[in-house]
Amino acid sequence: MLQALLLAAGFLVLVAVSVSSVILVNKAREQNSLLVHTVEVENQISSLLLEIRRAESATRAYQLTSAPRYLSEYETARDSVLPALEQLAKLVSDNPDQMAGIAKLNDLMRQRLADFARAIDSVKDNNVAASIDVLRDSASIETVQAITDVSRAMRVQEDRLFARRTANVDQTQILASTVTIAGSCMVIALGAVAVFLLRRSARVRDEAEAKLRDLAVTLETTVDERTADLREANDEIQRFAYIVSHDLRSPLVNIMGFTSELEELRGDIFRRIAALSRTAAFAPATPDDATAGAEPELEGGDKQLSDDFNESLGFIKSSIAKMDRLITAILNLTREGRRQFKPERIDVCALINGITKTVAHQAAEAEATIHVGALPNIASDRLALEQIFSNLIDNALKYLRDGVPGEISIEGRTKLGFAIFEIADNGRGIDPKDHQRIFDLFRRAGTQDKPGQGIGLAHVRALVRRLGGTMSVASELHKGSKFTITLPINWTEKQRDNKS
Amino acid sequence: MSNPVTIIMIEDDEGHARLIERNIRRSGVNNEIVPFTNGTAAISYLFGADGTGAEHKGRALLILLDLNLPDTTGIDILKRVKENKYLKSTPVVVLTTTDDSQEIKRCYELGCNVYITKPVNYESFANAIRQLGLFFSVIQVPPAAT
Repeated sequence: MLQALLLAAGFLVLVAVSVSSVILVNKAREQNSLLVHTVEVENQISSLLLEIRRAESATRAYQLTSAPRYLSEYETARDSVLPALEQLAKLVSDNPDQMAGIAKLNDLMRQRLADFARAIDSVKDNNVAASIDVLRDSASIETVQAITDVSRAMRVQEDRLFARRTANVDQTQILASTVTIAGSCMVIALGAVAVFLLRRSARVRDEAEAKLRDLAVTLETTVDERTADLREANDEIQRFAYIVSHDLRSPLVNIMGFTSELEELRGDIFRRIAALSRTAAFAPATPDDATAGAEPELEGGDKQLSDDFNESLGFIKSSIAKMDRLITAILNLTREGRRQFKPERIDVCALINGITKTVAHQAAEAEATIHVGALPNIASDRLALEQIFSNLIDNALKYLRDGVPGEISIEGRTKLGFAIFEIADNGRGIDPKDHQRIFDLFRRAGTQDKPGQGIGLAHVRALVRRLGGTMSVASELHKGSKFTITLPINWTEKQRDNKS
Repeated sequence: MSNPVTIIMIEDDEGHARLIERNIRRSGVNNEIVPFTNGTAAISYLFGADGTGAEHKGRALLILLDLNLPDTTGIDILKRVKENKYLKSTPVVVLTTTDDSQEIKRCYELGCNVYITKPVNYESFANAIRQLGLFFSVIQVPPAAT
């Protein structure tokens, strides 16, 4: 901004200096021509006087010698006087003062010329004395005097003009040089300021560059550190989950084992009770019957006790089974997290058709049709992709609306190096408030009428993330769901390292 | 039996140890069972005071080994047993909760004879142990080295 301003100012100064120089030079030229004019006027006055003198001397010579040579000289001079006067008049036509002088000179010249003519005529009449008298006449002498005076006055005037004009010219020239010098100084000053500013901004830029370089290096280091931290944390979590799931399993084996032992004992105990009560009621029996018999017949309070026992054991066992499933799920997830992905070129269409074939039976049962559109091929991990798509297709089939034939479609497109897959259904949909929840481990949404652990989507999202992609859901209750998966078209090991 | 097989059970969880023992007994195996609840005690028993394992030269042993021990890993014990010239022919049955395929593979590579995952499902567990009992009865216990 400042530099643009400086440039504009410099340009303006240059223009101003040039214009004023041109103007001043023109003015000086005009003044010079006026000066020349003055000189010309003086020159003309001199030549006029010269001519009149020539005429006079020729007249006088003719008086003395009567030689026709002088007569002709006289005539030449006489003829030159008036044109010279006219010339002078033309030169000073712009000056009224001088014009007055010219008018006077005109009269005087004519008078003088008339005197000369009379003198010449007298000589021609051989009356030399009369001729001389003409020129000696006091009137004639006065005329000469007047001519001298007038011409001197005119000269003085022209001299004054000359002096004044010379002063003018000098002034203009001084002005011109002053303007030029001042302009040059300003341009130099502006240039200096510009150079200074340029230097300063260059220095600032260099500093900024150095800072940027430092920052980039620091940033890289920070990112590396953070990445290492994250990777460590991730590994830590993996190890943690792995160890926890193992260590949780160990007591579970005991609980289950001893519960089963208790169950065995229960059988023994109640068989014995049955045998004892039978012995008490009817006849003595051998104790062997208690162990050898099948399910003993129990009655009344004993049966109640046995049922309660069974119920408690049943709850314990089903809880253990559930816990075992959860632990297995965590274990599988952590194991999945540790599996190395191998990117390969995958024909996604073929892969999905393979999945739909395996679920064809389920689809037929649910009266669902699966439509597979044109899908972009990508380079990724085959097993991970299979798990992603089969989980989503399974879900779509699993959560259809009762009484509505299912329609499931799988579409794909590419955008900026990413492949976007959309798995849409017309099923029961997901309440928007549950959209986040469904991706959490062991969380489910909606009517709980289908078996499941709440693992599928958590697993799918973990896989998608590891493959450097993102996933989202768009759904409303009773209006179907659409899951969108964005995966890089060319996934490489390096990307995984960066993300994990 | 003139040279009965001694079962060395290295298992830190006493509940598991008890369950294993009960099921072994149920399957009709009456051999002596020497239980250890940590790796250090087991190692000092197996390799003796001099650490060579020469004490057990010529004895018929069978080792039941849990991998997750508090003080050492079962893998290390397995490795040492299989590297020891007196013990290397001793059958080792790895009995653990880990069903990680990598770990199973590693155990077999180190020379483990049988790998059994402790199932939470009791029926499977009891079954596995009983089959182990069957295994004990048919196993070719290495002849006493002279």
